[in-house]
Amino acid sequence: MRAPGGKDGLVAGDVLLAVDNVSLSFGGVKAITEVSFDIRKGEIRAIIGPNGAGKTSMLNVINGFYHPQQGRITYKGATRQKMRPYVAASQGISRTFQNVALFKGMSTLDNIMAGRTLKMQGSFFWQLFRHGPAMREEIEHRRKVEEIIDFLEIQAIRKTPVGKLPYGLQKRVELGRALAMEPDLLLLDEPMAGMNLEEKEDMSRFILDVNNQYGTTIALIEHDIGVVMDLSDRIVVLEYGRKIADGTPDQVKSDQKVIDAYLGVSH
Amino acid sequence: MFYREAGQYKTSYAADMAIFPIRQDRIGIAVILLIAFVIIPVFGNQFFLSSVMIPTLVFSLAAIGLNILTGYTGLISLGTAAFMGVGAYACYKLTSWFPGVNILVWIIASGFVSAGVGALFGLPSLRIKGFYLVVATLAAQFFLQWCFVRIPWLVNYNTSGAIEVPERTLFGVVITGANATPTARYLVLLSVVAALTWFASNLVHGRVGRAWMAVRDMDIAAELMGIRLLTTKLLAFAVSSFYCGVAGALMVFLWYGSAEPEVFVINQSFLVLFMVIIGGLGSLIGSFMGAALIYMLPIVLRMLPAALGLPIASATVEHLQFIIVGALIIVFLIAEPHGLARLWQTGKQKLRIWPFPY
Repeated sequence: MRAPGGKDGLVAGDVLLAVDNVSLSFGGVKAITEVSFDIRKGEIRAIIGPNGAGKTSMLNVINGFYHPQQGRITYKGATRQKMRPYVAASQGISRTFQNVALFKGMSTLDNIMAGRTLKMQGSFFWQLFRHGPAMREEIEHRRKVEEIIDFLEIQAIRKTPVGKLPYGLQKRVELGRALAMEPDLLLLDEPMAGMNLEEKEDMSRFILDVNNQYGTTIALIEHDIGVVMDLSDRIVVLEYGRKIADGTPDQVKSDQKVIDAYLGVSH
Repeated sequence: MFYREAGQYKTSYAADMAIFPIRQDRIGIAVILLIAFVIIPVFGNQFFLSSVMIPTLVFSLAAIGLNILTGYTGLISLGTAAFMGVGAYACYKLTSWFPGVNILVWIIASGFVSAGVGALFGLPSLRIKGFYLVVATLAAQFFLQWCFVRIPWLVNYNTSGAIEVPERTLFGVVITGANATPTARYLVLLSVVAALTWFASNLVHGRVGRAWMAVRDMDIAAELMGIRLLTTKLLAFAVSSFYCGVAGALMVFLWYGSAEPEVFVINQSFLVLFMVIIGGLGSLIGSFMGAALIYMLPIVLRMLPAALGLPIASATVEHLQFIIVGALIIVFLIAEPHGLARLWQTGKQKLRIWPFPY
């Protein structure tokens, strides 16, 4: 594995997040049933499965948006029955969304700056004057944001309202906003949905670079099996809310249950 | 041709993040301030100061308050007039308890009272949004209005049931009460509005403003990024009510001179909401434009026939004024649904490349 030991004391290869026997249902609909898997520090972990398999629900459980009825989540050594969005965010879990969830009225710059809200704790008083500590803080974070903008090659759209950007760039800005939190665990919900080949290649490059340069652990949901096989270190396969396979791309590829789930079985 | 930023290079993030990064804008704002602080008080007559400028400034401040809540944070409120009322009554009580303390101190302090009340009525906003929140703020409007009518303690058991503004001075100059000159009242009001606008502009351009807009544009994403929804929304309610409260106190003390509870009825809430929508949601300059349009336009229309020497009966003028203002509002909203502020932005963009088409 690539990442060096982080501030949490974990070294690459240690379990960063473990989901243990988690079940989630909405009324009578079971979204996730007794799923367990782990994500190791520094790896790229893919979650795949047919539509409605519970992949997005799983991400929502991990960052505390949904609360599972059963099971435990262990993150950085602390075991909880459920995560809280604020706790998840402040402990370094950030994410992007399946349907781009940017702040449409704000510029690219402001969107990514908003991603650093948790890191900005200056007092309200100085905010009123936009001088002294408030301005210093603002400039310091602007510098960090500019690094991300350079990294994602979006300098030209810095001041454009994101609502006016084409879809592919919006996805990239959203990645930038998630990176602005300097996450330990980055959850990507279909980062390449609706993209053309070139855009997919760009996005794959960014994901690999994030993983390599910053040592960020990544969990991603993706439907393009080719991309998933190339990018990820390990893959979890869900179907109808249950885990049907877990392992390296080669193991998963040759798993009969996975082949059946994707291609169907003759009855 | 004249409004062009070519050649103005920014060499630091601070310069790039300035609120007016373009030199022409900075000159423009200096000219506006010069006109407002020097030329209008020197050349404006009594009527212009006390019946046009003072009301417009008061409503601009209230519109900024509502814009912080509705335009920046996306929470619609119909309680503006009530929060203005809280400011006015609080200021009246405070200055009757402690007449020796400078009235400006109490005007600002009454903003804090209003901020507290606003935050209290903002509590439901965590659970409800949109039309349902409108209904919740409507409850604030009616409850507070009821208080203004039914609690005589608020007006020091005055038999008329109205606030009667006492005389107060600032640096030896009378600024409230019957003996205050329009010029003195205008200058005090303008100073407060200018300072509070500057604070609002600083807030919305910084971390706090970004959190507000994030909640407005996509609350789920904001929450998962660690922006606490309740804190952010309550802060918006508090700051918004602070501005409305100060506007209410200024309205009674520097404009009306005395006020009955009927001043703070729901019609006034609607009036401020229209100003915000027509001026432009999420724009401070739009708040001024909206207030100016809605308040000044009827005055101009009322005076126009007399000025032109047209023999129209004053009742007819009144009716015509309603028709024309209503029609103009519709025209503006069709031309630019995002308000006058967006029209202004588009105009500036055109000016940048003028005389070339692109």
